[in-house]
Amino acid sequence: MTTQDQLSAWVREFARQVTEHRDELTALDSAIGDADHGANMARGMGAAVEALDASPPATAGAVFKLVGMTLVSKVGGASGPLYGTLFLRFGTAAGEVTELDAAGFAKAFRAGLEGVVARGRPEAGDKTMYDALAPALDALDEALAAGTSLGDALRSASAAADAGRDATIPMLARKGRASYLGERSVGHQDPGATSAALLVAAAAATLG
Amino acid sequence: MTEGSTGAPAVGLVAVSHSRALGEAAAALAREMLHGPAGEAVRIEVAAGLDATTFGTDATAVAEAITAADTGAGVVVLMDLGSAVLSAELALELLDDPTARDRVLLCPAPLVEGLVAAAVAAAGGADRPGVAAEAAAGADAKAAQLGPVEAAPEAARPGPSGLGEGGAEASGTFVVTPPHGLHARPAALLVQALQGFDARVELRAPRTGRGPVPAASLTGVASLDAGAGDEIEVRARGPQARDAVDALLALAAEGFGEAPPTTAPTAAPAPPTSTGDAAAGQAAGGAAFGQESGPLPASPGIAIGPARLHRAVELRVPDEKAEDPALERERLDRALGEARRTVAAVRDAAPASEAAIFDAHLTMLDDPALVDAARDGIAAGSAAPAAWAAAVDAAERTLAALPGEYLRARAADVRAVGDEVLRALLTSSSRLAVPDVPTRGTEATPRESGDSAPRVGSSGDEPPTAPTAPAPPAAPTAPAPPTASTAPGPPIAPTAPAPPAPPAPPAPPAEPVREPGSPPAVLVAADLTPAEAAVLGPEAVAGVVLAGGSATGHAAILLRARGIPAVVGAGPAVLDLAPGTPLALDGTTGRLVVDPSDEVRSVLGARLARRAEQEATARARADEPARTRDGTDVLVGVNVGADAASAAGTGADLAGLVRTEFLFLDRAAPPDVDEQEAAYRAVAEALGGRRIVLRTLDVGGDKPLPYVPMPAEANPFLGVRGLRLALRRPDLLADQLRAIVRTAHATPVSVMFPMVSVPAELHAARAALDEAIAAEGRGRPPGLELGIMVEVPAAALTAAAFAPHVDFLSIGTNDLTQYTLAAERGSAEVAALADPLSPAVLRLVDATCRGAGSATVAVCGELAADPAAAALLVGLGVRELSVAPPAVALVKEAVRGIDAGEAAALAARALAAPDPAAVRALLAEPG
Repeated sequence: MTTQDQLSAWVREFARQVTEHRDELTALDSAIGDADHGANMARGMGAAVEALDASPPATAGAVFKLVGMTLVSKVGGASGPLYGTLFLRFGTAAGEVTELDAAGFAKAFRAGLEGVVARGRPEAGDKTMYDALAPALDALDEALAAGTSLGDALRSASAAADAGRDATIPMLARKGRASYLGERSVGHQDPGATSAALLVAAAAATLG
Repeated sequence: MTEGSTGAPAVGLVAVSHSRALGEAAAALAREMLHGPAGEAVRIEVAAGLDATTFGTDATAVAEAITAADTGAGVVVLMDLGSAVLSAELALELLDDPTARDRVLLCPAPLVEGLVAAAVAAAGGADRPGVAAEAAAGADAKAAQLGPVEAAPEAARPGPSGLGEGGAEASGTFVVTPPHGLHARPAALLVQALQGFDARVELRAPRTGRGPVPAASLTGVASLDAGAGDEIEVRARGPQARDAVDALLALAAEGFGEAPPTTAPTAAPAPPTSTGDAAAGQAAGGAAFGQESGPLPASPGIAIGPARLHRAVELRVPDEKAEDPALERERLDRALGEARRTVAAVRDAAPASEAAIFDAHLTMLDDPALVDAARDGIAAGSAAPAAWAAAVDAAERTLAALPGEYLRARAADVRAVGDEVLRALLTSSSRLAVPDVPTRGTEATPRESGDSAPRVGSSGDEPPTAPTAPAPPAAPTAPAPPTASTAPGPPIAPTAPAPPAPPAPPAPPAEPVREPGSPPAVLVAADLTPAEAAVLGPEAVAGVVLAGGSATGHAAILLRARGIPAVVGAGPAVLDLAPGTPLALDGTTGRLVVDPSDEVRSVLGARLARRAEQEATARARADEPARTRDGTDVLVGVNVGADAASAAGTGADLAGLVRTEFLFLDRAAPPDVDEQEAAYRAVAEALGGRRIVLRTLDVGGDKPLPYVPMPAEANPFLGVRGLRLALRRPDLLADQLRAIVRTAHATPVSVMFPMVSVPAELHAARAALDEAIAAEGRGRPPGLELGIMVEVPAAALTAAAFAPHVDFLSIGTNDLTQYTLAAERGSAEVAALADPLSPAVLRLVDATCRGAGSATVAVCGELAADPAAAALLVGLGVRELSVAPPAVALVKEAVRGIDAGEAAALAARALAAPDPAAVRALLAEPG
């Protein structure tokens, strides 16, 4: 079972990681985008943590709704509505509960990913955050179906997310600003997939 | 064809943009199309930017805007690009009322054209799909005008009727009377007039062969290309066909609300006058920049992006028939107004030291010698462009022939101003926002050969608004010395300056039209006019490479002010680069790398990231006080002109310099006390009630006011200006001081007198202030403080004589530098001398601080905005820095890195340095 305090810890860990990797994310984005992903995510998640501190939510759903709404209004770039939708849908699917079991967690995360798909309409191979998240959630479902603990399943998911992130390097960007670069986007790791892999890694680190 | 009527609620509109300014401007344009009660019923809401200056979109703000715009008939949302679309989609999910979602339509039309067309359709009572369809067709008229890339828009082509069969039919014809044809305004009235009727109405223009187009479509009507005198055929079908046609004919009979020409157009075609290429005109003279010159640093910062070539568009006066003189005159007045707004915007974007140049340009726009000559030309039968061009040519020739370098230099200013008006007159002119489509192949290559004295201001590691003093032009092989003490940074590439452009692959015949949301590119141009430079934003342009350099340096200065990295003097070869060629430039060192390797990219990317982080940190802490590491508080203020709102949210501790001139310029009579008080209170409000330092009127003979007759002076900068002028016009000063005293009764205010040389002037000004206090009869306002500007070396050297009588001394480093070095910043020939980091200037700052006693010493010149110089100023004893709005956060952050003790030691060494270069070397030493 995962309590909403643990879920908050996940959010904080994600905030810590995007802040720690801010320069890397921005450098990646400067190669194929508008060089603001690191700053935007660090600003947005920093604000999310502040919001959690200011009024600690009582339920899992409330945690993610608060985070989602904060990102929506603080990030500015496309990662705002995309991550915002992910967390909002996650929160809605999790519901007003204080604990989530592993299946409920996976289901809510899947709902979040579906929100990202509804918002940005990415497909596999478009060189986006989807390319890290989709294999991660597939691995999570697979591991849980095999009876693995949530912690181990999340570690599998994190490894899959990292592999998915690395796989974006040779891809040709088809979404967002990077798509304007066409062939020149090949050879660069996608910043969105990179931050998405951090999200899964943060989950493995805090919810295990 | 349409439902609803003008009595029902209208569809609301929401504009979503990354930029607050863009969103609000688009809404303002659209509101211009709304007339009468039906127009007032249309609500246009804007959700744009994270705040007034930060680009981004906020889904919660979009949701709020949708809610506010929905008066019952639903909402159509128009967006710019990228996250604007995602945020708008997300906003639908955030609406409190789930049923409201079904009343919202997200429209893929281009933002500006779409919003204008949508506003007209909404005012006409169209429903959501109708409004969205009009918006989507909003760009058709432009496509018809410019020649679409692929296919002519439906509406513009002769085609079959869409009236269908059955129902009552009616028809009629009318003649277009508005002098400019069925342009946007009459077309909008036409569309609105018809939208209440249950009938389909079509229009056809036999002369142009266009149509039939639906009369309900603004863009369709505009695409008829119907000019004055054209006959238009009207056909209608439907239950109210007759009524609709009658209404339309009635509107036409009234001339669509526009007065028809009162006399026949005078047919006096003006001779075509080529006024030359704007860019070439600016950069005349000087030696060619060969490849060996290499690029020179012009605006600090790093940019990586695809090359986008900007070719100057020649301003050619068309051989056009003059309309009625009254209309041509009105046309000229409109263009003058537009040019005035452009120049004023440039002035506001410019650093303080350059603002005077643009103030002078504004004055020229009111210069009777110029304007009356053009009007005379119009009266004699010329069209406005030809008349204006002739007047400018004459004025330029006159000035160029005058004795005196100063007046001769003004000839270039007249040309710059003249081109700005001409550009406004020839509205099809190309601006940088227009997709870069070469039209005439190699002929478009600019002609000028270079620039004799590019400015190479080099300062700290990319402060967005921190132009430091111009350094002498760097020798070809000598890299400019780094000047930032805070950012050593690895060298970007091994040794020699980057080779400017290798031979470029053959340019493609035509670059494909770029989508509106291209990634920020590196703009490559021969040169930029000040107006062009002033409209560039970091969102659209990552950096700028100029083949030449501006003779006046205005472009480079403005780019620095806007935080856009730039190199100049890159040589003409860069103009042959293929569009899209990857470029990397470092405007701090003057490096330009064509098609950079991954290694170069990663090094530059890392520096870029560090810069972003520094800025983010500074912005996040902007509201916190600026305190040095060892606990010395330094106030950081903001300099404010006409645009007080720009000071809001900067984190400034006060408005350290409010230039009140904005109230006095561009008008026939001075503002009265009430108007001034209201303006000053507005500034205080923008600052959230923090202290505002109001500088009394600071003008001189270089920008005379119509109501202050001034004798001609050979050198107005050494003549009657600042407080000298105010004391000669006690009525003006008395009014201003009363307004200041009234404001001071409501909010903390300081009054500051400019251009003070001797204590007697201060005493006279104090007496005038005491009189104003007495006249108000409410006693001395408790928070009222008084100070002077220290701009004249005499005042700096005798600071102790002023100190007992003031609360503060505020050093204007721009004028102090000019007066100390006897060199005018506006003159390219001597600008390099006017370096505020000159030890001579620093010694005067030191003298001021030592003579100040208990009075606070502030710096409100450009030097204050240079983070690298902050330690120096604090070390000399300055305790307040007032800077342009975007620099506030960065200067505060710079102060936080200072140790006052170390700074004092640094200052002592700087005072002993022989020249500015030695001072820069000191500042560059690692902390």
